[in-house]
Amino acid sequence: MQNKHASNRQFKFSFHDLTHNKGFSSFSSALMAIFLGLIFGFIVMIVAAPENAISGFSYVVFGGLSRIGDVFYFATPILMTGLAVGFAFKMGLFNIGASGQYTMGMYFALYVGFMWDLPAGLHWITAIIAGMLGGMLFGLIPGIFKALLNVNEVITSIMFNYIGMYLVDMLIQGNAIMYSSPTSRTRYLPIDAKIPSLGIPGSNVNLGIILAVLIGIVLYIILQKTTFGYELKATGYNKHASDYAGMRGKRNIILTMAIAGGLAGLGGAFFILAPTAIAGSSMTYEPINIIAANGFNGIAVALLGHSHPIGIIFSSIFISHIQRGGTLTSLVGYKPEIIDVVIAVIIYFSAFAMIMNAALSGFIKNRLLKRNAKSKDSEPEIKEAG
Amino acid sequence: METVYYLVQNMLPVAIPLLLVALGGMFSERSGVVNIALEGIMLFGAFFGALFVLTVQRSSLDAQTILILGMLVAAFSGWIYSLLLSFAAVTMKANQVITGTSLNLLIPAVILLFSKMTFNSDGITTNISFYIREIPYLSKIPVLGELFFQRTYLTVLIGFAFLIIVTIVLYKTKFGLRLRACGEHPHAADSVGINVYFMRYAGVSLSGILAGIGGFFYAVGITDGNVSGHSGVAGFGFLALAVMIFGQWKPMRILFAALFFAFLRTLAYSVSLIPFLDNLGINQTYYKMLPYLATMVVLGFTSKKSRAPKAEGIPYDKSQR
Amino acid sequence: MENYIVEMRNITKEFPGIIANDNITLNLKKGEVHALLGENGAGKSTLMSVLFGLYKAEKGEIRINGKSVNINNPNDANALGIGMVHQHFKLVEVFTVLENIILGVEPISKGFLDKSQARKKIVELSERYGLKVNPDALIEDISVGMQQRVEIIKMLYRENEILIFDEPTAVLTPQEIKDLLEIMRGLAEEGKSILFITHKLNEIMAVADRCTVLRKGQCIGTVDVKDTTKEELSRMMVGRDISFSIQKEVMETGDVVLSVRNVTVASKLHKNNAVKNVSFDVRAGEIVCLAGIDGNGQTEFISALTGLDKTISGTMTLCGQDITKASIRQRSIIGMSHIPEDRHKHGLILDYSLEENLVLQRYWQLDFQRNGFIRFNEVRQYAEGLIERFDVRSSQGPVSTVRSMSGGNQQKAILAREIDKKHELLVAVQPTRGLDVGAIEYVHKQLVKRRDAGKAVFLVSLELEEVMNVSDRILVIYEGEIVGELDPKKTTMQELGLFMSGAKRDTSKEGQ
Repeated sequence: MQNKHASNRQFKFSFHDLTHNKGFSSFSSALMAIFLGLIFGFIVMIVAAPENAISGFSYVVFGGLSRIGDVFYFATPILMTGLAVGFAFKMGLFNIGASGQYTMGMYFALYVGFMWDLPAGLHWITAIIAGMLGGMLFGLIPGIFKALLNVNEVITSIMFNYIGMYLVDMLIQGNAIMYSSPTSRTRYLPIDAKIPSLGIPGSNVNLGIILAVLIGIVLYIILQKTTFGYELKATGYNKHASDYAGMRGKRNIILTMAIAGGLAGLGGAFFILAPTAIAGSSMTYEPINIIAANGFNGIAVALLGHSHPIGIIFSSIFISHIQRGGTLTSLVGYKPEIIDVVIAVIIYFSAFAMIMNAALSGFIKNRLLKRNAKSKDSEPEIKEAG
Repeated sequence: METVYYLVQNMLPVAIPLLLVALGGMFSERSGVVNIALEGIMLFGAFFGALFVLTVQRSSLDAQTILILGMLVAAFSGWIYSLLLSFAAVTMKANQVITGTSLNLLIPAVILLFSKMTFNSDGITTNISFYIREIPYLSKIPVLGELFFQRTYLTVLIGFAFLIIVTIVLYKTKFGLRLRACGEHPHAADSVGINVYFMRYAGVSLSGILAGIGGFFYAVGITDGNVSGHSGVAGFGFLALAVMIFGQWKPMRILFAALFFAFLRTLAYSVSLIPFLDNLGINQTYYKMLPYLATMVVLGFTSKKSRAPKAEGIPYDKSQR
Repeated sequence: MENYIVEMRNITKEFPGIIANDNITLNLKKGEVHALLGENGAGKSTLMSVLFGLYKAEKGEIRINGKSVNINNPNDANALGIGMVHQHFKLVEVFTVLENIILGVEPISKGFLDKSQARKKIVELSERYGLKVNPDALIEDISVGMQQRVEIIKMLYRENEILIFDEPTAVLTPQEIKDLLEIMRGLAEEGKSILFITHKLNEIMAVADRCTVLRKGQCIGTVDVKDTTKEELSRMMVGRDISFSIQKEVMETGDVVLSVRNVTVASKLHKNNAVKNVSFDVRAGEIVCLAGIDGNGQTEFISALTGLDKTISGTMTLCGQDITKASIRQRSIIGMSHIPEDRHKHGLILDYSLEENLVLQRYWQLDFQRNGFIRFNEVRQYAEGLIERFDVRSSQGPVSTVRSMSGGNQQKAILAREIDKKHELLVAVQPTRGLDVGAIEYVHKQLVKRRDAGKAVFLVSLELEEVMNVSDRILVIYEGEIVGELDPKKTTMQELGLFMSGAKRDTSKEGQ
């Protein structure tokens, strides 16, 4: 917010301005959460198998670099679910239901992919749009419950994660065209439902990531430049004041949840319709009664990116990067689940990283001040912030 | 009548975990902390309980002793895990819902990691039966004996005992009075010298203990003593939250809410045994969705009137008055 | 050497950016009522919070009965016999009176709460000091006056000797105030020592033995009340002579701008209606004041008038258009501006910048948006203009976060926004709440200016002086009904007080 006005003021460098800048403190607190998460992961590795810990950990941190294409491929769905969580968060809504919305998006995209016969150029586009609509539907319902009945969106969207999961698995298993019982998963989608690949050899990166980044930028513009974004953030900051100012709070809640659901739904569509060389990772779906993890990873992405669309683009790539690195650790005998542990720890710390950050910088400043002021006896006790 | 006996006998082991975990959630929220991490704490308790059972199942201990010892292990581990929530939510004043979510995510990953490394499986499989065919003497009571004391688990009796203790603690003791004050008006509590931070730690800790036990009882009564990092506790922690809201943060009402949800779930899993429902020919998955759908309906009707502890979800800050 | 029960010596307490107490010394004699006088923000509450252990002073010493003590929390204070009735009562609403009184010092027998023992003691205390309460009533069901008696019994139950009253009369009816002052005198005669925080001079003159005056965090002096006058106290409090009256020209009133007929509004707190069958008109060029004690239906009426809440029955017409069911936005377009009672809850988005707050009512107009995109240059220009005209001060001009601004400047920002917006009716609800004298004068002048510009002004106020000085016409609300219509030039504060407390009512208004 402050940055766009910075050029109007005289340029003056000061430590205080820099550290009190909102963007800077979000960034540094995200780094801090990541740092603590990685350290935790490293400790787990040392406990599990000390002799391989160093090489395993370097896979986590740097391994993704050798698989940049895959990093982007896996970043696409969590970028979308991250946007779904972050966008709702700007309005003060915690969309923990990105999983259900994502699953519905996948189902709708699968349905169009299998059941509709469309011209080659149109098929994948239609399937993507269908995925968005599917997600919207499952975002809309918690939105309506919240706006009209004042039911907490957290509980509603959790319930709809389960409902969505059971529903989709049931619908798929009951559809003989989509489901193949012998393999206990769906058949592979027809080729013209596939999102075009970007054609980089040896990787699965496809048009999805480009679209996802573009959507992130569009959301950034909506939030920063439009009256809708103004209303949305106002409601997130202070619901009472937004009512007082005549904003249509109920409509905005429903709209925001529908958009958030649509974003998660797109994530599901981008994921399921992506071309891949990794067998079974897309173009087919296995109904195993488990809630989609990418929805929850979206929470991590959104928190790390401080719900800022541009921040979310980068944090999704980062999360995907360490996930890739995590799978590589199996080369030295670790289990890839270690990355899920690291991600959960990162979310835990990001929940209070801002406060921790303030305390830490206060502490460092105290040290600096005290050193500077050592000659003066009258230096007052400075209490640690936080 | 056979069907009724069957339903009740199968419903109670399902209702008890819901009851205990919802009571735990009640303690936490009554002290002012929203505990969405119940799901994770349940799984954590279940995991360590099952791990304990796994280590002692070959010893000479009889099954019910193992169950009680396992319960203590689960309670302790649930408490330890809940401290992570207390620390973040009370000491660090972090967003309680986000912290809870991260704790929910952490546990399945840890269990999968641990189990894959140690047992090369998705979780823990134990091999012991806690099932009680009939309890001596009590099972002979007409009707009641058959409903409550036959084909059951010890967990059911322990669960009801906890309900009574919880009710007394909440309403009849100094501790309960102070705890409730912290969830309603922490500044008032502070002004009469009550340590709000301590009481909130206590509330969350009690929820950790009860949720840990609830998780273990879930594993005992529903998944046959096994714990998996994949399926976890199937959203029971979240259902327990709904049970707590439906029960209006009051122990006795929570009991009825828990029974209601357990009934729906038992129904869903015994469709094929009930001729009437079986004949309808509805896909069984619909019944599996039933508890979750029912939650939505119930919350839709009750939440306009519901009266949550006033200060829940708001970190207490001494300086902001 | 005097026999002081409390000595606070050279107390200094700082908050980030402000020195709330600067080297303040205060001595309390045993058995006296000692008033602590000062404006909002003078540091009275901070000083008492230091004594009560809620804040820790950076410098200074506290002595109780001549012994130097460390008070780190309310428990320490309680152990030293210090009790406090807070301005905002510290009562748990869903608890009973008895539960609130024993909270923190619960009598226990065999591990369980022993309420019968507590009840006995409470009944005893309530009889001895004439503090009537019902131990088993829920706090949310009893009147504010009774809630205050509960707070007093809370202190007596703990056998406190030093009693602090923080602005205790703000929420009471004149009759309740009279009773309270008597109770305070009675307590002092029983040997209790009382610290009485207030900014109302009449009450000091009526009850206090001595008075210490604070201004901007500094101690101006301590005087014997019998040797001083109201004028001298007020000069000490404000630092200059203040004129309580406001210069107003006589105005011809114009057309009816707002017409309210038989409006009834439900209450959120209880089953009875909060506003009952209210009817009145407000014309162009007049300031009509809705006077009353807090909690007599003003908040509910304003919610209904401004569209935040629904009415049960009745109609409201603004500039000839029926607005009974209109949305907030529509009311605003027709010509209603609203300075809300709670500026932090309703009036401002504290995390938005000043310029974003200044367009809060207008961001959707074509001046400030095109095709859904906000025109930031226009917003900036407009904000800079308003900031200049209304002298809104902040650290970084239009881009400062409103949260970082002082209360007075926040209120100025709201005033600027609501006054500059096209309007025929200005609804101002307690617009001077929590402001210092300078800011109060400013707000009053702005209201009069609106009236002089031919607008209708509807003011809601709890302060008798404000009601008498600013308004052209007074409507008194009591228990949700308009019980009288008074002309400030022809009535007295005493008469107004009688109407406000329901002791007197204008029967001609009934059945209208």
